Amino acid sequence: MLAATVFACLLFFLMLVGLYIRASPILSIVPITDLLFSSVWGPSDGKFGFLPFIMGTLWVTGLATIIAVPISLLSSIYLSEYAGNRLRNAVKPLIDLLAGIPSVVYGLWGVLAVVPFIKNTLAPALGVETIGGYGILAGGIVLSIMVFPIIISVTGEVLRSVSQDMREVSLSLGATKWQTIKHVVLRKARPGIFAAIVLGFSRAFGETMAVLMVVGNVAKVPTSVFDPAYPLPALIANTFGEMMSIPLYDSAILLAALMLLIVVLIFNILARMVLIKIERGVI
Amino acid sequence: MSETHIQIENVNAYYGRTHSLKNISVQIPKKQITAIIGPSGCGKSTLLKCMNRLIDLTDGVTYSGKILIDNEDIFDRKTDIVDIRKKMGLLAQRPIPLPMSIYENIAYGPKIHGLKKKPDLDAIVEKYLKLVGLWEEVKDRLNSPASQLSLGQQQRLCLARGLAVEPEIILCDEPTSALDPVSSQYIEQQLLKLKNDYTIVIVTHNIHQAMRLADYVIHLYLGEVVEHGLSNDVFENPKEERTRAYINGTFSTELKIDSESDLKGQLCPFNFVYAKQALHNLEDGKILKLIVDDPIAVTEVPRGMEADGHKVLIVKQINKTDWEIVIQK
Ligand SMILES: Nc1ncnc2c1ncn2[C@@H]1O[C@H](COP(=O)(O)OP(=O)(O)O)[C@@H](O)[C@H]1O
Ligand SMILES: [Mg+2]
Repeated sequence: MLAATVFACLLFFLMLVGLYIRASPILSIVPITDLLFSSVWGPSDGKFGFLPFIMGTLWVTGLATIIAVPISLLSSIYLSEYAGNRLRNAVKPLIDLLAGIPSVVYGLWGVLAVVPFIKNTLAPALGVETIGGYGILAGGIVLSIMVFPIIISVTGEVLRSVSQDMREVSLSLGATKWQTIKHVVLRKARPGIFAAIVLGFSRAFGETMAVLMVVGNVAKVPTSVFDPAYPLPALIANTFGEMMSIPLYDSAILLAALMLLIVVLIFNILARMVLIKIERGVI
Repeated sequence: MSETHIQIENVNAYYGRTHSLKNISVQIPKKQITAIIGPSGCGKSTLLKCMNRLIDLTDGVTYSGKILIDNEDIFDRKTDIVDIRKKMGLLAQRPIPLPMSIYENIAYGPKIHGLKKKPDLDAIVEKYLKLVGLWEEVKDRLNSPASQLSLGQQQRLCLARGLAVEPEIILCDEPTSALDPVSSQYIEQQLLKLKNDYTIVIVTHNIHQAMRLADYVIHLYLGEVVEHGLSNDVFENPKEERTRAYINGTFSTELKIDSESDLKGQLCPFNFVYAKQALHNLEDGKILKLIVDDPIAVTEVPRGMEADGHKVLIVKQINKTDWEIVIQK
C-alpha cells in the first residue's frame, strides 16, 4: 500500500519533470516573455505566441466563474441555512450526480442547446455577430454548470462548519436570520468560500472536452464574450500528435501542458491549505 | 417578592419524544438575580432557551405553555421574536466572540438595530467596555480580532456586547464554567453590580455561585421544578428533601478543615511547592485550606492540584487581597 502511495505521488513529479524536459527546447530558444505575451501564433514560421490561448483560457474560465459563483453560493446558502433536512438530503445526490456526468455529455448539451440558443435568440436580440453561436459565452455557460457541484458542495461543508453557537449569539442580539447569515456566518466562512471558488476555478481552468466543443477554437485574442476563443487545453487536445513535423511544435504544446499543470497545481494547493486550516479550526 | 418580570406558566418542552421540561410554572422577579440550579441534564439550558426562543433553532423541538414578559407571550406566534430577543442579553457557557474585531463585536448589535453614525457607535463601544472593566485593557487595540483576547476578557466582551443592545434582562448559561477563578470572580462582581438595572437569570450547577449571587432560586430536577423561592429560604431551610440533598451533596456548610496553610507573601513557584508539601503530609480524603495573595497562584495552584489528582472544593476571595483555596487530597 505504501509503495502504491509513493508511486502515485512520484507519478506527479515524474509528469512535471517529463513535461519540463520536453518543453525545454522551446524555452531555450524563444524568450519566455515572447512565449507568454506575443499574440502571433504561426508555428510554421517559428512564431509561438501563447497569448491568444492564455487569454482564451482566462476569458472562458473567468466568465464561467462569474456565472457560477453567485448561483452556487446562493444555492448552497439556501440549502444549508433555509432548506429542511428532507430537501437537503434529496438535493445532495443530485448535485453529486451533476459532478459525475462525463464532460463530453456537457459538451454535447452545449452544442445542442446552448449554441443554438445563442445563435438564434440571444445574439439577434442583442444585435451582435457570432460565428454560429460558438464562442466564449457558450463555453462559459457550459463550464459554469460543470463547476456548480464543486462550489456548492465545498461551500456547504464550510457553512456547516460554522458553529451553531455563533448563530445563536447573533440571533440573541436581535439580528434577523438573514442579518446573521450575512454578517456572521458568511464572514466566518469567507476563507472557505474563497477556497471553494478557487477549486471551482481550477476545475474550469483545466477542463477540455466540453469547452473545446463549443468555444469556436480560433487562435485570436478575444475582445468580447461573443468572440470565439481557443483555450490552452483545447489547443493541446486538438493539435497534439498532428503537425509534429513542424520544428519545436511538440515542445510548444508540452509547454502549454506544463503551464496548465502548474497553474492548476497552485490553485489547488492554495485552496486545500485554506480548507485544512478551517478543518483544524485555525481560521 | 418584588415585581414579576418573567412569568412562566405551564411550560412543557420536548426534544423529539424526550420530555425535558415538565409543567414549569415560576415567576422571575424584576431587577434581581435568579439562579436556576440543578444537576446536569435537568433542563436548565432548555428553560433558558425557551425564554429567548433560541430553542426554535433545534430540530424536532416542540413546546407549549406561556412565557409572559411585560405581559407579552413570547410563545405566541404573533409576537415578534426579534424584538423579544433585543430585550434579552445572552451570556453563554463559553465566550463566543463574533468573527470580527473587538470594536465590531460591541457595535454589532446597535448597528443591526439601525445605529449608523460613527461617533454614536464609538460612544457605545467605550461605554460598555468601561462598564465591564475592559476598556483600559483593550482601548489601544479595538480593531484587533476579538479572538485574540484571553478567555476571561472574551467573556467580559460578550457581556458588554449583550448590554450594548440595551436589554432589560440578562440570561446567563453557566457563564463562568469555562473561566479561571479570577475571571469568574470578575464576572460575578459584574453581575452583582448589574442587578440594579437588569433582571438577571443565571443557570449554574455551582451551588456556591448561586449562594453568592442569587436573590431567588429555582431548583430543577429531571425537568421539574422541585422548589423555588427566596434564596435565603431555599438554601437555609429547604422545604423539599431533594433540595436539601442536592445542596448537601455538593456543599457541606461545615467543611471540616484538617489543615491550614498561610502562603501570603509567597510567590510562584514557592507557594505551589508549599501547597504540594502540605498536601503530601495529609492523609487521603483530608481537607487543606490555603490562603494566598499572589494572583498567579489563584489560578495556577488549583489547576496544578487538580492535575495531581486532588479535588479543589472552593476558590474564593475573602478580602481585598487574599484568596482561600480549599483542597481535598
Ligand atoms: N438538542 C437536543 N436534542 C435532544 N435532546 C436534548 C437536546 N438538548 C438537550 N436535550 C435533553 O434535554 C434534557 C435537558 O438538557 P439541558 O437543558 O441541556 O440540561 P442542563 O442545561 O440542565 O444540563 C437532557 O436530558 C438532554 O439530554
Ligand atoms: Mg446546560
